Amino acid sequence: MSRRFLRRAATALALSSLLVPLAACGGGDDGDSATSGTVTLRYGMWDEVQKDPIRKSLDAFTQAHPDIKVEIELNPWDQYWSKLQTQLAGKSAPDVFWDHVAYFPQFAQQGVLTDLTADIAADKVDTSLYPQTLADSWKQDGKTYGLPKDWDTIGLIYSTKALGKAGLKATDLANLSWNTTDGGTFVQALQKLTVDKNGKHPNEAGFDDKNVKQYGLALQAPTGQQDWWNFGLQNGCKLQDAPWGKWTIDSPACVQAIQFVQDLRLKYHVAVPASVTNPPNGPSLDQVLGRGQAATSMDGSWMLRSYNTALPDGGFGVADLPKGPAGSGTVFNGLSEAISAGSKHPKEAWELVKYLASAEHQKIMAGSGTVWPGISSLNQDFAEAWKAKGVDVTGFKAAAEGTTMGYPLTSSSATYNVKALDAFNQVWLGKLSPGAAAKQVNDASNAAIK
Amino acid sequence: MSVRTRPPSTSGGYPTRQGARARKSARRHAWRAAVEGYLLIAPSLAGFVIFLLAPLLGVALVSLFDWNLMGDPEFVGLRNYTEMAGDSEFWRSLRNTVYYVVLNIPAQTVLALLLALALNRRMRGRNLFRVIYVLPWMAMPVALGIVWTWVFDPEYGAINKMLGVFGIDGPDWLTDSGWAMPVVASVNIWQYTGYTMLFLLAGLQSIPVSLYEAANVDGSGPVRTFFQITLPLLRPSLFFVLVTNTIGSFQMFDTVYVMTQGGPGGATDTLTFHIYQQGFQLFRSGYAAAMAMALFALILLVTAAQFLYFRKRTIYDFS
Amino acid sequence: MFKKTGLYAFLIIGALVSVAPYLMTLNSAVKQPDKLLTTPAWEPATSPTFANFSQVWGEYDMSSFLWHTFVVAAVVTVLQVVFSCLAAFAFARIAFPGRELLFWAYVATMMVPQIVTIVPLFLLMRQFDLVDTYPGLILPYVFGFGAPYAIFLVRQYFKTIPVDLESAARIDGASTMTVFTRIMIPLSRPILATLATMTFVNTWNNILWPLIITNSDRTRVIALGIATLKSQYASQYNLVLAAAALALLPLVAIFLAFQRNIIRSIALTGIK
Repeated sequence: MSRRFLRRAATALALSSLLVPLAACGGGDDGDSATSGTVTLRYGMWDEVQKDPIRKSLDAFTQAHPDIKVEIELNPWDQYWSKLQTQLAGKSAPDVFWDHVAYFPQFAQQGVLTDLTADIAADKVDTSLYPQTLADSWKQDGKTYGLPKDWDTIGLIYSTKALGKAGLKATDLANLSWNTTDGGTFVQALQKLTVDKNGKHPNEAGFDDKNVKQYGLALQAPTGQQDWWNFGLQNGCKLQDAPWGKWTIDSPACVQAIQFVQDLRLKYHVAVPASVTNPPNGPSLDQVLGRGQAATSMDGSWMLRSYNTALPDGGFGVADLPKGPAGSGTVFNGLSEAISAGSKHPKEAWELVKYLASAEHQKIMAGSGTVWPGISSLNQDFAEAWKAKGVDVTGFKAAAEGTTMGYPLTSSSATYNVKALDAFNQVWLGKLSPGAAAKQVNDASNAAIK
Repeated sequence: MSVRTRPPSTSGGYPTRQGARARKSARRHAWRAAVEGYLLIAPSLAGFVIFLLAPLLGVALVSLFDWNLMGDPEFVGLRNYTEMAGDSEFWRSLRNTVYYVVLNIPAQTVLALLLALALNRRMRGRNLFRVIYVLPWMAMPVALGIVWTWVFDPEYGAINKMLGVFGIDGPDWLTDSGWAMPVVASVNIWQYTGYTMLFLLAGLQSIPVSLYEAANVDGSGPVRTFFQITLPLLRPSLFFVLVTNTIGSFQMFDTVYVMTQGGPGGATDTLTFHIYQQGFQLFRSGYAAAMAMALFALILLVTAAQFLYFRKRTIYDFS
Repeated sequence: MFKKTGLYAFLIIGALVSVAPYLMTLNSAVKQPDKLLTTPAWEPATSPTFANFSQVWGEYDMSSFLWHTFVVAAVVTVLQVVFSCLAAFAFARIAFPGRELLFWAYVATMMVPQIVTIVPLFLLMRQFDLVDTYPGLILPYVFGFGAPYAIFLVRQYFKTIPVDLESAARIDGASTMTVFTRIMIPLSRPILATLATMTFVNTWNNILWPLIITNSDRTRVIALGIATLKSQYASQYNLVLAAAALALLPLVAIFLAFQRNIIRSIALTGIK
């Protein structure tokens, strides 16, 4: 290196001393360029896939509002909330951001969200366009803290190839039911889809549960949203005694549902072992289906694009979840567009939220096939976008129109999430009993309610 | 430390005015040394105060409050500390951390030493090996998460596939509470052994060849030479490596975050991860800060102990 | 002869273990997305594609993120080396009052996990109005995170340079700065190469600070860009791996360029 190195180092130093003040001028702009009359809004979100269609849609918004610019701030889901909380501490949160029901109650309680009730009334925003449960998730004490952005449900996703090999048709997965005694037709179907290396099924003599070639079902859910919450709903289990109330996941109906999920793995041997699927190290379920380790999975509608990558060209389909002792049901959840209380441009931020919740914007989002839109009448656009790719996704919509359960509304979701991940991982491995885990998580979550 | 600074040439006067002025001159030298010393560290010191000391004091302060970042902090005195003393999860994470350090540091150091000894010889491909062994250190944690799934998956993973060839039924590496921590440790050993090796290799190369020649003449075998010459003279490098690696190990976070999130059953819940969980997932900043202060004290104690141990046995000038 | 074969076998196995994850990453990055998920990572890509690379390069802005990261890492490296050397020189060679206490204060700050100091630091940067700016991103790296380690390392090295060299220069009338620039720095080039590489790699791969301090695409670095591809919603492994491979190449190039100096460097260091 010697002299050449030194010369290069000197050049770099000179360059850097130029660059730093330059960058200082460039960044740090909060959008307070009052002189030009243009306002720059910061819009926080976490999904890379939605960024492109949103950007396109926002171009239309800026055309209609030439004085409002929108800058997207994308952060990975894993760190989105840590970052948002830090920003809130520094009073520098984005003006508008995606909100999730797991965090909303705490935010509302701490007063970091803007109450939109008056704006909604003044501008006559028609909230009846959104599903009732969805719009209601963003209310607390009669105040509305966000407008629905999208919704999601859980469906039974199957690999067309695996189904065909077992001699089953998509219709064979409709109208399945489960029970706590023998597993019902749901377990029977999964048994047909589960084969060991000798071609034997779990209900046959000589089945080798240590060498299974393909399992009937793959499950994975850090919180329960994609697995036992659904079985719980189908078994009459309530996660809470009331919205904003106490957790009740240690009730018999809930524990039975948890037990059933454990049984699918350890008793019936029809679900992929927890040693493979437990989060965070387990592969995502689209991979498990893609590599042929399982024939079906229970997963959220937000994962459709991943399945389309793993199983392209119509390689997968969506079926209804089975019915349980208490009927059918799925977890129904969605996101909202919220305005931070510290926003320096509340008026412009409301204009943006109004646009994001409008049919104009949500039609573009639905058409991109990324998420089901918050406005019910646009669901067709989403379904058609997927029909064009050879996949019938209307199962999710049918589920949403049936019996549903929302995400629990409580200030202690964070505690629940942390405790549930570890405790239920142990249950799926057979190292903790469903009852003990439920009680442990329930007590800790209730203790954290504020 | 014996260098005297002298006045800059502008002040003239050097060399030597004799006799009675000698004492005055010495005082002036000391004063000049102080000015020069502080001028030299001034930029770094300013940065140190702003970017290291102030945040550290901030953490100490936050540890006396109940604060969820969003609302107003509430002063609670030492309550976070008393809660910590009675929190079984805190003590579990402390035990896990010590267990991890014990798994990691000796294995990593011995392995790095063996590698350094091997790659200190004249041999073909020596430089290539050195480069290859340092490569893991450059890995980006985000991408590694995916890689470890390929490696440790109980059925489809590389390790169990390989064991299967020999008819061995490999364990469920990351979901077995007995195996999870050793796996986490081995991943870190994979990542940092080559990096550690660089410093030990350096130490080996600074040992004068003449000493080995003398030992050869005396007819001492390789093992004896290692223990009588190599190891004692390597102590300074070992010291540096042990101090910095131990500090790093007590703060290990990335691997647990990516691979286990503290599971299964809390088996890999190390202190730093626990602090992260309390501070950023449960939003209990004050409590997280209190635990961070405890970790700080622990590392300080361990480092001081290492320092005392090595000072007795080396000529290493650490002060 | 047998011993030598054994040694090579040991080294080659170790080397394979060291590079296997990289080979799997590269191999998977050139696979078709569906093949990536359905075939083992070590199974060679049957019809290799560079589509993943071109997609992350163009469509996902990784090219500009790479450039940002490069600028940040380069500036941090240069400034860190300069200021660490100045401070290390004072700590190693000048008897100023409070030296020992200050040095220990530096070392002690290494013992606090970054994860907790990040919130106070963020609030501080907010006061200075440096959120989402390059100075806000760069300065804490230069003077904070890696600085104590850098000063510790260089100081140890400076201490090994014979005092005689310096005394001789002093008698010839050299000033402190002359000693620093004409004796210490030229003799320390190897350790500077080591420090530069270390700083560069650590800055390149760090995600925590950029995550907290930057908001917009103007200041986004590659590690963060990759992390957003691995979202809860639809993880795109093919893109994550291609981007990770892209991000690794500059590091390897820099290490190879400095490799000779680094090995020699620490050789001279002798850290004693």
